Amino acid sequence: MKPRSVAGWCVGLGAALAASLAAAHHPIVAKFDDTKSTDLRGIVTSVDWRNPHVHVFTNVTRADGSVENWAVELESTVLLLRSGWKHDTLRPGDAIRISGPVARDGSRQVWGETVTATATNQRVYNVKDSAPTVARSQRQPAPRGSDGKPLLGAADGSGGYWAYPTSTVLQQAGANVRMDADGVLARLSDAPRVAPFQPWALGLYQHRQQRHLADDPGFLNCKNPGAVRQFQTPYGVQFVPELARQRVFVLIGGGNRNYRIIYMDGRDQQGQVQGDDDNPLYYGRAVAHWEDDTFVVRTTGFNEDFWFTNGGLPHTNQLSLVERFTRTDYNTLRYEVTVDDPGAYTQPWSSGWELKWVGGEELPVYFCQDNRS
Amino acid sequence: MKRLITMAAAMLALGVLASSGAQEGHPLKGSWLGEWQGNTVHGDDILLILDWDGKAVTGMINPGTDNMALSRASLEPNGWVVHLEAEGKDKDGSAVRYVIDGKLENLELPNRSINGTWSSNKGRGTFTASRQ
Repeated sequence: MKPRSVAGWCVGLGAALAASLAAAHHPIVAKFDDTKSTDLRGIVTSVDWRNPHVHVFTNVTRADGSVENWAVELESTVLLLRSGWKHDTLRPGDAIRISGPVARDGSRQVWGETVTATATNQRVYNVKDSAPTVARSQRQPAPRGSDGKPLLGAADGSGGYWAYPTSTVLQQAGANVRMDADGVLARLSDAPRVAPFQPWALGLYQHRQQRHLADDPGFLNCKNPGAVRQFQTPYGVQFVPELARQRVFVLIGGGNRNYRIIYMDGRDQQGQVQGDDDNPLYYGRAVAHWEDDTFVVRTTGFNEDFWFTNGGLPHTNQLSLVERFTRTDYNTLRYEVTVDDPGAYTQPWSSGWELKWVGGEELPVYFCQDNRS
Repeated sequence: MKRLITMAAAMLALGVLASSGAQEGHPLKGSWLGEWQGNTVHGDDILLILDWDGKAVTGMINPGTDNMALSRASLEPNGWVVHLEAEGKDKDGSAVRYVIDGKLENLELPNRSINGTWSSNKGRGTFTASRQ
């Protein structure tokens, strides 16, 4: 994306904010009970092809002849389209079989773990999404700009973004705690090992875990994926340098499709917009410099209105991040972060993962929005 | 009611309403409005401003009117037990020492609540407050 595209991005952001009012995408286990599965056969009545989740409404005839309409929930349109599916892959009147966990609240909703078209006996709407693979022989070094530093964006302006993080959860280096992609712990007793929590922060983290992350404001209210979380979203980030003003935009493909500004003009950690210098922000106040080939970003000034990572780890307005971005080759961005929040943790701690380059493409069109109806 | 209006005005003056809404940090941080029923010295209505500095909970009861700074405040995550202590003065200038003990409920909600009891050398009763 070229710098001038930022204006268009901002327009899109406004639309996203207007749309982001109620419940949206969520961890699957927050809504569906993975210990209670069901198998259904029915006739499609409609397909609601929308983000954050596609729904296939299906009439299921029970043994007593009564008909129930069930909502079969699927992944986003982005992931389904990437996997080769379209809005009309299934049409009203099609017979399908569904298997998956049912809604925790007892409503007639099921997560479509498998959806099979009865007529062809073929699975539909299954997701096959993985990072582009690059053969070892075709690996190239990181492209460099006129200043000799590695480019964090596309070399030739042809577009591209970073996605497919090798981890979508945050835990201190070496902890190796087992959790799912949303950060739901396999064993709640492992909670104290995830990070050096203060007692209240551990209690709050455990509370959120016990509720399967159902209270995540990033999903309930489309709150910004600030701090670490922007590098955990499924739809990636794009770095857009604005050399004239010595700043870098980080456009965020997931969450509420927002952006973050990182300043390189030597300023102190001041506000991103005139007049907000003292306001705590979702993305904080970020300044950066280069250390050899690593882009080092220091950010403070976060507010407390969001979850700063998947998984529900708490933070306070004392949160300070040091993020280190190293493009280790053309297709790999190493992300390392040190979390320092004396309000919630007893000591600084670090983590990191990699993101993969998706070349020649813009960020996918995804907006956090309500499609509960 | 007049006292409540005064407190609301004090909240506006302090700008604390601006901090209402989502608060995903320390669960006690924020402004709390409620009742300590049967309080004949300082009235039934209470405004509580609480903060967290990373080591301790600090705060004030009825800022702008009674200005009672908390002398002790704690939150025990095991059961989310809240304990607050403050000292004020009655109309005659005599010391009134308050102790509030309660439990934090609906922890996950922005408008979570503290429910329990209050006591002082002048009385006792039930205590309820909701985060604003």
